[in-house]
Parts: sequence; C-alpha cells; structure tokens
Amino acid sequence: MSSIAATRVQRELKDINSEECSGQNIRIELMNDQFEHLKGEIIGPPGTPYQGGKFKLSIHIPETYPFNPPKVKFETKIWHPNISSVTGAICLDILKDQWAAALTLRTVLLSLQALLSAAEPDDPQDAVVAKQYKDNNSLFYKTAKFWAQIYAEAPGPTDTDCMDKLKKVTEMGFYRDPSLRALSSNSWNLADALDNIG
Amino acid sequence: CSDDYEDDEEDINNYYNNNEDDFADSEEEDGDSTSNNNDIKTSNNNDINQSGIIMTSKLEHFSSKTMTVSETNEFLWKDCDKASVVLSITPAMSRLVLQASKWKLAVIKTRLYKTNKPNFLESGLQNATNSKSIEKVKSSRPKVCGVCLETLHRSKLLALNCGHQFCDGCWKQHMVFAVKDGMSQGIPCMEPECTLLCHPDFVKQFYPVNQDSPLETAYKTHLFRISVSSHYQLRFCPGVDCTSVIYGEKPKPRKVQCLTCKTAFCFECGTPPHIPTNCETIKKWLTKCADDSETANYISANTKDCPKCHICIEKNGGCNHIKCSKCSHNFCWMCLGDWKNHGNSYYECSRYKENPRIASKNSQTQAREALKKYLFYFQRWENHDRSLHLEAQARSRIQTQIEEKVNSNQGTWIDWQYLLRAGELLAQCRYTLQYTYPLVYYAETGPEKALFEYQQAQLEVEIEGLAWKLEHAGEYQRGDIENQMDVAEKRRQTLLARFVTV
Repeated sequence: MSSIAATRVQRELKDINSEECSGQNIRIELMNDQFEHLKGEIIGPPGTPYQGGKFKLSIHIPETYPFNPPKVKFETKIWHPNISSVTGAICLDILKDQWAAALTLRTVLLSLQALLSAAEPDDPQDAVVAKQYKDNNSLFYKTAKFWAQIYAEAPGPTDTDCMDKLKKVTEMGFYRDPSLRALSSNSWNLADALDNIG
Repeated sequence: CSDDYEDDEEDINNYYNNNEDDFADSEEEDGDSTSNNNDIKTSNNNDINQSGIIMTSKLEHFSSKTMTVSETNEFLWKDCDKASVVLSITPAMSRLVLQASKWKLAVIKTRLYKTNKPNFLESGLQNATNSKSIEKVKSSRPKVCGVCLETLHRSKLLALNCGHQFCDGCWKQHMVFAVKDGMSQGIPCMEPECTLLCHPDFVKQFYPVNQDSPLETAYKTHLFRISVSSHYQLRFCPGVDCTSVIYGEKPKPRKVQCLTCKTAFCFECGTPPHIPTNCETIKKWLTKCADDSETANYISANTKDCPKCHICIEKNGGCNHIKCSKCSHNFCWMCLGDWKNHGNSYYECSRYKENPRIASKNSQTQAREALKKYLFYFQRWENHDRSLHLEAQARSRIQTQIEEKVNSNQGTWIDWQYLLRAGELLAQCRYTLQYTYPLVYYAETGPEKALFEYQQAQLEVEIEGLAWKLEHAGEYQRGDIENQMDVAEKRRQTLLARFVTV
C-alpha cells in the first residue's frame, strides 16, 4: 500500500472517530493494520423505512487512493433501488466518475446516508426494487422496512403479514434469504414467489 | 466583427491549399503564403478524373486534406495562438476554450463581442464565483492539502483559477492517475463538484525535468485526441493502424479519402461512404442488418405458441393438424383450437372470425409482411455487395488480360485502359446503387419514393448492361462500352442530383 493512501486513511480515521460522538451516526473501523480493508457502519436516517437500522459496509481502499474512489458495498442486506438486493453493490456517482481526490470516507458515508433518504429510481442498481419503488411505493416502504428489521436490527414491531408469509416459505425447506427476496420481488404473493424462488 | 471574420476565412483558405475549383466561392491563392503547406497532401477524391470521361460530382465528395500528427498539432496550436490574442489569455488556456466550442473561432469571437464575456465557464477555466470569493476561498482554507491532509507552507500549495489549493505532490499523483485512466475530457480539479479543468500550462509544471516522461507523452496523446475529436473540421482516419488526420474545410456528410491508407469514409459519421442515403438512415440500416432483431421477426412470422404449454412451434409441413412435441397436445394451426373438435369438419375453424385468436393472426400477417419487405431490400443490398467483390477480382483479371494483349502485339497498353476505367466506373455505380436500398427501405410511400425507385431502376438497367458488356468485352467495340459507361454515370449523377439535398 502506498504511503500516501495509508497516511490519509490514518488521518481520516482520527477525524471520523473524534466526530463520531457529535452524532453523525457513522462509524469506521480497521479490519487489519494494513489500511486496505475497513468496516463501516451507518445508521438508517429518521423518516425512512431504514430508520434506526445498523447497516454494515465493506470498504476496500485501492492502492491509488485518494486519486481513485474506495470500493464500497453493503454487507447488510438492504431493499433499495440503488443498491443490489443480492450483492450489496452500490450505484452512486461519487463512487464512480464523480469521485474527487478531496472527498473523504466520511463524505462517502454521509452521501450513502443521504442516498437512503433520497433514492434515485431512474438510475437503478436493482431494477426489481426500482420498479416497485415507482409503481407501488407503499409496498416498497413496507418491504424496505421489513428488510431493515430482519437484517439491520431496525426497531419496531414487524409486519405480521410479511412475517407469516416468510415463515410459510421457510417451513417448506427454503433458506431465509432467497425466500425473502422471492416474496419481495413478487409483491408478497405466495404462489408467485414459490414459482420464482431461486 | 465582420472584418475579423473575413480574416479568419482567409486564413483557412491560406491553410487550405486549394488546387481544384471545387468550390466556386473559395478564392484562388497567390501561392507564396502557402509555400510551407505545399507538402500537405490535398485531394478532392476525383481519382477517376484522369480518365477524362467521368465527371466527379460535388454532391459526392468535398475537398479534404490528409495531415500527419505533427502537421495537425501545428495547425491546432496556430488556432490556439489566434484565440489567445482574441481572448487575452495564454494559448494553452485558449485551447480549453476552443475545445469547448468545437474550435469555431468565429463563434468565440461573436460571443465575445455580443456579451463581452467569453465562455470560460463551460470551458472549465473559471467557476461561477467571482474573483473576490476566490480570494476568500484561498485565504479561508487552512494551510492543509485537502488530499493528503498534510499541513504545508502556503507557497507549496497550488491552485487553478478556482482557488482550490492542493500540494504539488498530490497534483502530480492526480495527473498520473488521470492520464492512466484515459483522461476522458481533461484532468479535473481535485475539489468535489468543481468544474475546472487543468490547462496544458498547469500540467506542464509537473513534467519531470528530463524530456519524454511517461506523463508528458501520455498527456500529449490524450490532449491531441480530445482536440481532434472536438474539432469540427478534423477527423481521425478510421483506417486500420492509420494515424492520419483528415481536414475538411466545410464539413458535410460526404465522402473523403485518406491519402495515406486510401480508406474512404463519410466525413460526418465515419462509416463507409453511403450517398444517397443519409447518416442517420444508414446507421439504422446497418444496425438492423447486424443485430438479430430479424430473427425475432422471423419467429413471429413463422411460428406460433402451443396453446397448452406455450412452447414455440415452427410449422415444417403443410398439414394444419399439429401435435406439440413437448406436451403432445393436438391442435389446429389455423385457429389454435383443440383438434378433437375438428374431426371431419376441418374448414369450420375459419368461420370464427370474431375469435380473438383469429385477430392475433392479423399481427402475424403484419410481421410476415414486414419481414418480406426487409428481406427484399436486404437481398438486393447483399447481392450488390457480393457483385462488388466479384468485380474487384474481375478487374485484376482485366489487368492480366491487358498485359497479355500488349505482349501479343494487339494494340498498346494505352489502348486497353478503357477496360480498367470501365471496371472502376462499374464499381462506383454499383456502390451507389447498393446504398440506395436502405434509403428506399425507410422511405415513406409517395410520389417522391416512386420517382426515386424509377431512377433507381434506370440506373440498375445501365449498370447491369455495363457489367454484361464488360464481362463479354471481346464481343463489343470500345465505343459501345464507353457509351455505356457514359450513360451509366449520367444516370447515377441524375439520381444523386435529385435526391442528395444536404
């Protein structure tokens, strides 16, 4: 790892952890002492289906950082038009062509938090989610909230209808993750979900 | 303003060593001012002109010039110098302004005189903020480089006109990586959301002292690419491994030819010349021929889905009693109903006109019609393409025949040249004919299309006549063939004159 990347990550970590107490709701941790892999966490912003959820991120710092963007993806499964519900890959301009060397990990995490508040369904990463977001927003809200409760420890009582259906599918012997994805992608229609479970 | 514009025109004419009266409005040169440009190859593509028979039309090509990389660079810097005088900035900075305005100096001038403000904003030379706030940006920022976060002495920090300061080490690294990544439209400032681009002078200070560093070479290559592709009068030659740049004085969608590698292409869109079809139509046509959309068309025209298991079935015989090979369902191809109900009264199924399944036949008929129409034109297009290849081989045979005839004392070499010229003319006519088919395919039905098709047919008759006579050259007199050549070319000219409008 080049010295400039390592020193910058070190300085950034110092800054972030000092600001953490001031209520930014973001956190970054080192995975090893090589500064190559970091673990991030953002709290779901209020007023969104993700409210209070703890979303874990994997951050890979390239050799050429900060002249090239860090590679960031969601470790915690999330239902969002700009984030793949399967791989956690993120579609965000500053992680691609709009990256500028003066941007920091802190700004990246804050931008991701902003992305949770304001999705861009016209530039989707996950076409299925984006379609639901546009066609049936209330169903999207319900699904995203349920996902946040299942995977990100978001507080509040879970939707009983969703829970029952998920239970039914898993009791047939399917794993939880594909079952939930199949139900969410098929408007929570049990029969359709069972036809398309993958 | 108009004075300056005329100056500009004259400069272009100076540069463009016009040796043909292709453009009536371009003035003749006195010669001395262009002496340094005489080595640049000019062409107006009438390579068949020497024959004396064929008139090349202004409709088909326009004057162009083939330039090497260094000639092009010289040409570009000349423009930068001119712009720098107009804009009162350095030539390197004016390069960004020129790139943002397709190198149309006249446009830059007009804008400057009209609004008194050059387009520095769009060029990436200036931010929307005024100079006072830039000073504020500068002084308000701590003496820390925003990229490596090191505290530095202010003299070590460098900034573009936006005032976003970073240390020289980070700038250099940034440029190295930006160049490595291909540097799409230039090297941007490192500040988020800042629209400024690094101008060549700013980049220059980061080259190492020794010449020809990788950064310098790569940066110059990319800068050259950006400049040429943004220039309204310049095109890279699309020929394989050819580095030439083609200069066209008054850009039009017409044929130009690179004099280095002989590749001919349309100046506007870079594809092979396609007159009389326009750029948009030929693109649509070539995409249509290349992709498999026609496969889908074929499927919809020749297959139906099994009404039970919905597998796609292609009918391969005359019998309308179909047994699905997947689900063994017996059904009628005509009405898609169960075959059991048909029994002896087979023809009953055509009675159910109001049946929605019959209605679907309508779209099927439409698809079949569309496919028929496409195949009709595509087969002609393909056929002429094949003929062109075959006749290219025939031309090399003519060459050997001429040599044989000359060697056996049947006339002199010059006596037989008309055969070669006829071959070339045939290729030229056939090429035009080939490119009329996409135009007709997309043309709307009407008197215009009828007229075009009439002239197309006329041309086709003469072309095939010429092809026949050339193939049986021994049975025809030289006069016969030359007459046929003349007629064919006149037909071609008539068609082009009527239907090439742009």
